[in-house]
Amino acid sequence: MIEVKNLLKVFEGRGQPVRAVDDVSTAVAMGEVVVIVGPSGSGKSTFLRCLNGLEEFDDGQVLIDGIDIAGSKTNLNTVRREVGMVFQHFNLFPHKTVLENLTLAQRVVRKRKAGEANERAMALLTKVGIAEKANEYPSRLSGGQQQRVAIARALAMDPKVMLFDEPTSALDPEMVGEVLDVMKQLAREGMTMAVVTHEMGFAREVAQRVLFMDAGRILEDAPPAQFFTAPQEPRAQAFLKQVL
Amino acid sequence: MALKHRPAAWPWYLLLAAILIGLTAGLWVATQRVHYEWRWERVPQYFAYRAEVPQESPVAGRVSAIQADGALSRVVVTPADGGAPVVLPVETVQVAIGDAIDREDSVGDHYEWRIGPLTQGLWVTIWISFVSGLVGLLIGLITGLCRISDNPTLRGLAILYIELIRGTPLLVQIFIFYFFIGTVLNLDRIVAGIGALALFVGAYIAEIIRAGIQSIPKGQTEAARSLGMSAFQNMAYIVLPQAFKRVLPPLAGQFISLIKDSSLVSVIAITDLTKSGREIITASFATFEIWFTVALLYLVVTSLLSQLLFWLERRFARSD
Ligand SMILES: Nc1ncnc2c1ncn2[C@@H]1O[C@H](COP(=O)(O)OP(=O)(O)OP(=O)(O)O)[C@@H](O)[C@H]1O
Ligand SMILES: [Mg+2]
Repeated sequence: MIEVKNLLKVFEGRGQPVRAVDDVSTAVAMGEVVVIVGPSGSGKSTFLRCLNGLEEFDDGQVLIDGIDIAGSKTNLNTVRREVGMVFQHFNLFPHKTVLENLTLAQRVVRKRKAGEANERAMALLTKVGIAEKANEYPSRLSGGQQQRVAIARALAMDPKVMLFDEPTSALDPEMVGEVLDVMKQLAREGMTMAVVTHEMGFAREVAQRVLFMDAGRILEDAPPAQFFTAPQEPRAQAFLKQVL
Repeated sequence: MALKHRPAAWPWYLLLAAILIGLTAGLWVATQRVHYEWRWERVPQYFAYRAEVPQESPVAGRVSAIQADGALSRVVVTPADGGAPVVLPVETVQVAIGDAIDREDSVGDHYEWRIGPLTQGLWVTIWISFVSGLVGLLIGLITGLCRISDNPTLRGLAILYIELIRGTPLLVQIFIFYFFIGTVLNLDRIVAGIGALALFVGAYIAEIIRAGIQSIPKGQTEAARSLGMSAFQNMAYIVLPQAFKRVLPPLAGQFISLIKDSSLVSVIAITDLTKSGREIITASFATFEIWFTVALLYLVVTSLLSQLLFWLERRFARSD
């Protein structure tokens, strides 16, 4: 579903150029849930953002469903319909109601009729458990509710892949569970997911593979059982010691 | 819980009133000093006045009757060629029964309400400001978008335009626009005036819009683009609607300035409120009264506008 070959992303700052993603190659199969962990600044977000072209990378290749997203004939907007993304800070559209947040892109990007878009939106809001807030503005919702709306908004485009960048990091602890529950359900339904998170419980329960990133590289790629009990790399061991 | 002790406010209001009374008194004393004779009664006629209009007979003939009807009189003219009699209402009669009347001879005067030069000037000021504000908004929107564009040509042009306009006085711009561009393109003075004002305000609006767009968090664009929206759709549906709400207060200030700045077009002989004021003064010598009145009219227009924009702002605040 996702194939990454020798991905390189360099940030040219004022000081030293930072290789935020440094020669990363990996793949995510259809229906697979991959959790990406690693210390702060290790390049997890940058890597994820390269997958849907939010970040322009300097070298390498990203294939989504076989399509080279940086290809000269590729329309990135068409690829992005198939790749949903959920952000740490939700990024809901504050000037639109919850329902409108879900229908806007369906209508202007997928060209769905209002009735169809509304129906899809309400079905998803029901699924994430906030149908009754459909006509509220996002600012009236709690963080957990907002993040569930954001997930529903991405799902409304019927993507083939979902990317999550620390979806629960900005939430109060008591709201983390409700968002993780939605993500777990999504995983059970067979959604292909790449998730950056610090929720090790989620990784252990849901992930087929855990990628450990450090300094822009994937140092470890293993099933959770193996990763959490017998990490190979000393840096992964040190990281786990800190977070567990 | 005990509230913080709040000192009474009324002594300050009293002081405010005292200062205002003092200022008024000072003004009065000052005008006494220069022996200025206030003639406020001369002002209303410049808003609207009753004009004497001669009533002309449409036919040649003889006055056959004059019927009084309150303040009005009806002069009946029987045409010489034997047609039906014509009734002409007048307020002051200038003919007598039996008089012979030619076509287009006046049979008397009647009065009509006419709008005076102050009202006319006010109207010119309002519509010139309105049109140049609208055009300026369009220019500002386009320039603002060019200003943050990735294309160096567009960005360069936008910066050049903004800097040129913001670095030179409006009065000079009006002269250049009128005497140079206006002559080259053979523009009417009104068009030249509106053009100069629109270009002027456009540069400021461009900066307001740029700041507004840049104040919208990057995450909004990222969310929109990640849903597959194009850069244009992102602007149209996500960024600009939110930016518009934020730029409303500075835009309001800019439009209010525009109304005041529009007084400068009087230098190219556009009869706006300011120029009307100047013309009236040459005829009436009521210098202070007219300038105070002109100032008051500007104040009324700008206050109404700021009320309107305040109301708009509240409507847009719905989603907060
Ligand atoms: N826009 C940018 N400009 C310059 N450098 C950047 C930019 N974004 C990220 N970086 C740098 O790239 C590196 C990787 O950052 P990234 O945000 O991907 O890390 P992360 O693993 O997501 O960290 P965190 O857990 O704190 O979110 C860091 O060194 C960061 O400083
Ligand atoms: Mg990150």
